[in-house]
Amino acid sequence: MDDFFFSLVLAGISVGSVYALVALGLNLTFWTTKTLNFGQGSLMMLCAMLTVFLSSQGVAMALAVLGSLLVIAALGMFIERWTVRPALRSGGSTMGWVVSTLGFGIFLQGMAAKYFGSQAVAFPEVIFTAQDYVTLFGQYVSLQYLVVLAVAVVLILLLELFVRKTVWGQAVHAVSLDPELALVQGMPVRRIILGSFMLSSVLAGVAGVLIAQIGGTVDPAFGFDLVLLGFVAAVLGGMGSSLGALAGGLVVGLISKLVGGYVSTAAEHGIAFALLMLMLAVRPQGLFGRPEVSKA
Amino acid sequence: MLEVRGLQVSYGAVRALEAVSLTAAPGGITAILGANGAGKSSLLRAISGVAPVAGGQILLDGRDITTLPAAARAKLGLAHAMEGRRLFRQLTVEDNLKLAWSFGARATPLPAAIAEIYGRFPILEQKARTMAGLLSGGQQQMVILSCTTIRSPRYLLLDEPSLGLAPIIVQQIYGFITEYAQRSGITVVIAEQMATLALRVSRHGFVLRRGRLVLEGDSRTLLEGGGESGALAASYL
Repeated sequence: MDDFFFSLVLAGISVGSVYALVALGLNLTFWTTKTLNFGQGSLMMLCAMLTVFLSSQGVAMALAVLGSLLVIAALGMFIERWTVRPALRSGGSTMGWVVSTLGFGIFLQGMAAKYFGSQAVAFPEVIFTAQDYVTLFGQYVSLQYLVVLAVAVVLILLLELFVRKTVWGQAVHAVSLDPELALVQGMPVRRIILGSFMLSSVLAGVAGVLIAQIGGTVDPAFGFDLVLLGFVAAVLGGMGSSLGALAGGLVVGLISKLVGGYVSTAAEHGIAFALLMLMLAVRPQGLFGRPEVSKA
Repeated sequence: MLEVRGLQVSYGAVRALEAVSLTAAPGGITAILGANGAGKSSLLRAISGVAPVAGGQILLDGRDITTLPAAARAKLGLAHAMEGRRLFRQLTVEDNLKLAWSFGARATPLPAAIAEIYGRFPILEQKARTMAGLLSGGQQQMVILSCTTIRSPRYLLLDEPSLGLAPIIVQQIYGFITEYAQRSGITVVIAEQMATLALRVSRHGFVLRRGRLVLEGDSRTLLEGGGESGALAASYL
């Protein structure tokens, strides 16, 4: 195999693990409410922006990241309370949350442009610098990309363990299946849902910081594409499945990079959405999704 | 003691329950009878906190729980088998039981509690790893009953436990309910369309019609007198 092919594969795995991380964040709110926060991209952007801002004010890097994540977690609760819950309660067409979450994301993007400027700002190096790399199959592999991959894999394993092995993981699943029954059985449904939005937002924040340091810059529009492709990854892997998020992310990353390399970079996004349509037509529940089970 | 005073339940403009007052005597089975749409389910749902109460009071051991959230009421020892065979269909039988136990009173250790249920319903042990949604109707009802009793409740609300089941299964289910009520000494409220079935096992009965309480009395009297005076039958028409 030639070097070109390998470099594309490595690039695909790298961006794929980023998509997987985003898909994972989308999955969390899907678990509890069957909704997705389409403003997820703005949370990624805001977390990175806040980190830049705090560290420019002389706050230590680790504290700046931690502080930003706390803000993002609080925003996650706000999003559940004020954009998702009212939309779900209003009844009628229950897709209102698509518009409200997206709208809130756009609002955050606007606020960021107003207060931090719409220019890209340099993102400080958090863990590794862009010059850190290891050699793999004769290719230079950036350590920053490897960190994203490692974080994605570790989080996926943790979430799978949580869902499969703990009572609270089962409770999360139960809430998504029948919230009213969960309530009657004494599960703190409200807190579980709020928690899922907080955790989902924190995941978005972590993804934002990790990705911003790879690109080296962050601007208010940052994150928008990533959420779209993360969404494709989530659907491809099977909405709600953690392993699916990883598989979907890697498939989207690999195929779009290969097509980008051998056909045209302009086709990278197009092929991702073509994959989405194909999957929805052939296997709507996704690679790892479980079809609905029911018997009257 | 479970007491309801002047309870009203409204779904928007539709009034499901109109000023209903009743008391479920402690340590026995109380039957709530009535035809389809009489308000039986609304009554039970209001008691466990998932139906919109428009007026009146719900008292549990003299404590007003009318505004208490459903999860908090469950913590006070209310267990509710809701109508429509509600269980977590995509979870296995055992996971359904574990979850119900985890958020209940945990009076018995989990392994013992599960063993007791499998002793009572051996078929559930064979189906332990099967998704609950794939079980037959009777087996599902066994899981649902087990999920309520594994919580060690002090009050048990059962909504149409006989609905859509074969007579032999109904007999088995009702046998279990009577036996459990006697053994545990807790307060059981059964909402049931099959009047004779519920009256045979209960001590006291209340009859609802179009959201109002139209008849109440000793179960035996209702059972015997119902036929003669036709009061019970009339309430269904």
